[in-house]
Amino acid sequence: MVLELQKPRPIWQIMFSTHHTDVGLLYLITSLAFMFMGGALALLLRVELFSPGVQLIADSMTYNRIFTVHGTTLIFLFILPSASAFGNYLVPIMVRYKDMAYPKLNAVAFWMIPPAGALIWLGFADFTWYAYPTYSVISAPGPAADMWIFGLKILGVSSILGAINFVVTIMKCKHPDLPLSKMPLLAWSYLTSSLIILVAVPTFAAALLMLLTDRLGASGFFNPAMGGDPIAYQHLFWFTFHPEVYILVIPAIGFMYEIFPRFSRKPIFSHGSGVTAFTLLAIVGFSSWAHHMYASGMSFTEKTVFMVGTLAAVPASAMHTFNFLATMWGGRIKFATPIMWAVGGIALFFSAGAGGVVNAAMPLDFVSHDTYWVVGHFHLFVMGTILFGTVGFIYYMFPYVTGRMYNETMGKIHFILSFVGTVLVFFTQHILGLFGMPRRIYDYPAIPEWVQMNIIISIGAFIIGIAMAIFLGNLIWSSAKGKPADMDDPFGLGGKYYFPYQAKNPSH
Amino acid sequence: MKAIIGVGMVLALLVIVPSVELVMAAGDTPGEYLNRVDVIWSLFYRLMIIAFTVGIVVSGMIVWLVMRFRESNPKAKPTPYEKDGTW
Amino acid sequence: MGNHSTWPEWVYVGVVVALMCYVGAEAWNIERIIEHVPEDAELIKVTGQQWLWTFEHEDGTKEIGELHLEKGKAYHFEIYSKDVIHSFNIHDYVVLMDAVPGRVNTVWFSPDKAGEFDIQCREYCGLIHYNMRGTLIVEDKGA
Repeated sequence: MVLELQKPRPIWQIMFSTHHTDVGLLYLITSLAFMFMGGALALLLRVELFSPGVQLIADSMTYNRIFTVHGTTLIFLFILPSASAFGNYLVPIMVRYKDMAYPKLNAVAFWMIPPAGALIWLGFADFTWYAYPTYSVISAPGPAADMWIFGLKILGVSSILGAINFVVTIMKCKHPDLPLSKMPLLAWSYLTSSLIILVAVPTFAAALLMLLTDRLGASGFFNPAMGGDPIAYQHLFWFTFHPEVYILVIPAIGFMYEIFPRFSRKPIFSHGSGVTAFTLLAIVGFSSWAHHMYASGMSFTEKTVFMVGTLAAVPASAMHTFNFLATMWGGRIKFATPIMWAVGGIALFFSAGAGGVVNAAMPLDFVSHDTYWVVGHFHLFVMGTILFGTVGFIYYMFPYVTGRMYNETMGKIHFILSFVGTVLVFFTQHILGLFGMPRRIYDYPAIPEWVQMNIIISIGAFIIGIAMAIFLGNLIWSSAKGKPADMDDPFGLGGKYYFPYQAKNPSH
Repeated sequence: MKAIIGVGMVLALLVIVPSVELVMAAGDTPGEYLNRVDVIWSLFYRLMIIAFTVGIVVSGMIVWLVMRFRESNPKAKPTPYEKDGTW
Repeated sequence: MGNHSTWPEWVYVGVVVALMCYVGAEAWNIERIIEHVPEDAELIKVTGQQWLWTFEHEDGTKEIGELHLEKGKAYHFEIYSKDVIHSFNIHDYVVLMDAVPGRVNTVWFSPDKAGEFDIQCREYCGLIHYNMRGTLIVEDKGA
């Protein structure tokens, strides 16, 4: 346990620590803070979109800035750091080593996040989280745009450093008696996502640098007025960011690989299938990037190649679903909060994937591209699968990190409200997209179907907001005043799990 | 296994042939141009039928698993792994 | 851990692969057919700029914000951009293609219903992206 609030450690001890449990805790607190901040921005957007006309936000530029920072924050400052949080905390334990391979580098990678976050939030750029040229080169106002570019540069370096650490810890520092084939699937998820980071992220680092020099007028990579091609940026961007979505989802699936067997009181159905699925997804995930660019004017052959690459990744994801369901079969499942989140996450994972297959079919993309269908689709992944998996794992690890139990009833209420809200918001957004409402618009004409659906979506979003407020309260109150947990078996499941969740922090 | 593949192929044929006929019949003269709205949306509806069918199967499976294997189910019995206590 | 019969999983993966093959084949076929432009399609130049659409017919007629077309004829759009990336969209006719500065993108369609339809921009292009709209007016022949 690292966060004993009733006998608090000096804060500088945690801040200057390089121990993996402390760095993990720093990542966790930072990522949760940004989760609530990014989520609050979403609520502002939904108030404005409640009906046509101005509700809350006086001008479209402010609205554009809010959705840009919302997306940027939740992807780069919440999901990635929260994965790093649990990775740092658990990977050394899972490979039976004393710390991460490079503890000081680990702390450096963490400490890059607050300044990057500050750059993004103080700048508040408006060009969407993609930052497509030529808008981002010739039209987006600075210094917001430049601050965003620098912020993301720093985050990219932080990601790469963290990935190096995970790969070396797992491959080189793991205990000699532990073969890779017996390593927990959660550790495998960190290995595969880190390998994807190492291949994918440097491309975007290059693209960011090129974008910056273009903005300064020193180059014309993406500016046709200087002989460049805006589509080149899109290729570079999506070459990184399609695999990036697998970087985001793979740790969350890894969390579910811990939760399902533990709460079902039986081992995972097939460890080998999990390893195969992660590895396959990591490789095939690189072959589909331009499905984000179907409307940019690519040739028929190009589009076909990327459609095949996209569809090829579906069986790998489907294997995880099978594994989880087969694990539950024949178990004796205790439905505490963590596994409720995991089951909800898997149900939404399937819906997200199904909608994605529709997008992948080239002609159907003409219906859905850049409409609310896409917004609904990817949110079912980031909220429905990743956030649900992460929050479930936060509840699961809560007793191990704090030594206390969270309030179970509040946890279940949080789940039910979030699930209802998520379905209301994101399933409805699919239909709204089919009716043609584009994304990234500050206001919309009073088309009756659009108006009705936007009301439903905003109500769903407020329900999620209430649920998250309950979560925040539960986290804070239970960390300080929750009932002390039985550290060997906080959930009363019985049995001894195959690796101990207890990490020894040198300051305790 | 072969039966499943066979049925699948028959189904695929049954669906592809009519749609190919429909679009092959579209010509290049006024009044006979391809109607892209019809063609695209009919593909969409076909995929939706498949997606919802699979969705009902998967969701139904999840609901059944959750209800049948919850520990409060009267038929619940300990897993073989609970005897040794390691899983 | 390794003693489970794995045939259910293989069947399941087989079904998923078969479904993906079906989706891919259908999509490939439909896309191939959609992209075939009729020979007698009339050319319309569409130009997107922050934040309006302008059109130029074959005979030189220019329109701003509105596009008048004839029902039953085939039209081939050449889409240009003067500044940033926009995306030309007539949702009711499933016409969608990006307007990218420095290149020309093309798409064709044939309107089969008379009436007024919305034209909107479907790629973020800044301040008034949300209101970069136009109207397609399809008239009966001879109108």
